[in-house]
Amino acid sequence: MPKSDLYAGIGLMAFGLITLFVLIPTQTSDGGDASISPALLPQICAVCITGLAVLLTLQAAGKLKRGKAAGQAVPKAEWISSVAVIVAVGVAVLQFKYVNPAVAAGLLILGLMLFMGERRIYFLIGIPAFLLIGAWLLFYEVLGTAIG
Amino acid sequence: MLDELYSVAGSAFAVGNIAWILFGVTLGYLVGALPGLGKGTATAVAIPLTFYLEPLSAIAFLVGISKGSTAGSAVSAILLNTPGEPSSTPTAMAGYPLARAGKAQKALKMGLFASVLGDLFSTVVLILVAQELAEYALGIGPVELTAILAFSMVFIAGLSGRSMIKGLIAGLFGILISCMGLEIETGSPRLTFGLIELYDGLPLIPVAIGMLALSEMMIQIGQRQRLADEADLLKGSSKREDQIVTLADWKNCIRPIVRGSLIGTVVGILPGLGASVGSFLSYGAERRASGRGADFEESGAIEGVAAAESADNAVVPASLVPLFAIGIPGSVIAAILIGAFTIQGITPGPLLFLENKDLILGVYVSMLAASVMLLFIGYFGQNMFARIVRISPALIMPIVVFLCCIGAYLQGGGTFGIGVMIVFGIIGFFSKKYDFSFVTFLIGFVIGPSFELSLRQSLGLVTDLPELLDHPVAIVFAVLAVVGVWRLTVLQRKQMAEMAKAETN
Repeated sequence: MPKSDLYAGIGLMAFGLITLFVLIPTQTSDGGDASISPALLPQICAVCITGLAVLLTLQAAGKLKRGKAAGQAVPKAEWISSVAVIVAVGVAVLQFKYVNPAVAAGLLILGLMLFMGERRIYFLIGIPAFLLIGAWLLFYEVLGTAIG
Repeated sequence: MLDELYSVAGSAFAVGNIAWILFGVTLGYLVGALPGLGKGTATAVAIPLTFYLEPLSAIAFLVGISKGSTAGSAVSAILLNTPGEPSSTPTAMAGYPLARAGKAQKALKMGLFASVLGDLFSTVVLILVAQELAEYALGIGPVELTAILAFSMVFIAGLSGRSMIKGLIAGLFGILISCMGLEIETGSPRLTFGLIELYDGLPLIPVAIGMLALSEMMIQIGQRQRLADEADLLKGSSKREDQIVTLADWKNCIRPIVRGSLIGTVVGILPGLGASVGSFLSYGAERRASGRGADFEESGAIEGVAAAESADNAVVPASLVPLFAIGIPGSVIAAILIGAFTIQGITPGPLLFLENKDLILGVYVSMLAASVMLLFIGYFGQNMFARIVRISPALIMPIVVFLCCIGAYLQGGGTFGIGVMIVFGIIGFFSKKYDFSFVTFLIGFVIGPSFELSLRQSLGLVTDLPELLDHPVAIVFAVLAVVGVWRLTVLQRKQMAEMAKAETN
């Protein structure tokens, strides 16, 4: 997958340079009297990541130049499922904060089941109910740790 | 050693501890049997539960899960041609044709026996080797430790993926991310972006759950149709000899099991090689020894199942040798176990045998008990697990995502932990899809703080290059790291060229 390697290399190069010249200077103190700067290890990592990203980019560009196939690395279905999972968990976090933990958990499970094509009503009701009751029993009754 | 193990048998065989091991092995087997779920996911999701357990029960529970899920992944590999994790791929190659020929029961039984034997052998080696190695490790200073950690990272980066460059980037990214939080010498915030939650650094468990479990769910949910279709291709058989392991099968399989156990144990001890390398090496050796060529996969081979499963299961206990002896996690499971040890206030490494000897001996006895339980649970629960693999992914995967959220919430300081899990879920998704080893990332993240500490101490001790000559062990490992980069890169190029050639043919 030289094409995706090329994009990954360019992205990582940018990440390495931003880390080195923006993030580390603004997010790390100079260390004052410290014998070794707190920025030392992050700087070593950022320099090495940038250097390796340059190598990866050159390697991928060389392969592309030689006409090696550039297949699609991630199928469309996996892109869609990834976005769906992230959105479902993100919405659940918002519901958890602003509505209710049980509603958040119930809708998270229900939403993903519906997304995956489950339409049997007894499963759509039974599984979220079973999990919520199980989590309540485990955390509130057995372990004594409230969630939310 | 036997006397020492006997002395802790009382606490290891306490009803509570045994119950947790039993629960761990059963849960692990169940999760392993489910298509698309592996030991990394199972162990990462279960970690938050251990917060409430005694240290021995906590570690034994997690080891039980990892052992159970390693053995259980053979079920979906053989029945559905869908390995729970890459290390079960050879099992699917040799076992799925047997299942389609009506010999699923035979293949599953032999897979289980080989798993238990490989696991048991490797556990005994762990017991015999780790303490001896730890005694040597106690004499290691910061300069040597820095060189050993650097060498381990190079080794892991080179062997856990197809590209040395990508492996090194993943490992360095892990170390960089581990730098977030209060700096160890001055206590000043570093890369925290003004977030108080980041002062203690990123929490390991949400990072691990995101990288291992959530990212896997994102991929598997996208492949749900393929998972559902595989279950329809199975055939049954009424012949008794197709359902049991006969004496002739044992005669054919004992040599591959012994060889597989040895290969798996050696591969497990070397940091970073992982179960996939072990099972593929063992399977390849058996395939060559059989002389059957492509027929090995076309008709299926019970010897292939035995070879792959014994090696796959031997890797897990052996990968704890570097963790217990030196404190270096050699595998994903070992990296996750560090999180569990930390929750219990214990630091893995050579001091473990001085400060927590009873605990470690208890873990050994629990591991042996887990091996025996694995046999019973796998044997008597086989029919049940065979039915479970047919459960629709639409029912399983939402449950796993829900458990991921609970785990990240409990161990990551509330919804902040879920946020961390989402971020690392996305990073994990891309790292899996673009072949940046997430194993190397996680190990880099875990060893990052030790690496920084030993590097700082080394820079204080060695101010001039000639002073390095006082540390010959460090020089050896530094040279090995450089040679490792060169040799492993050459090896990977050869493999890539061979793969490209095979694809063209």
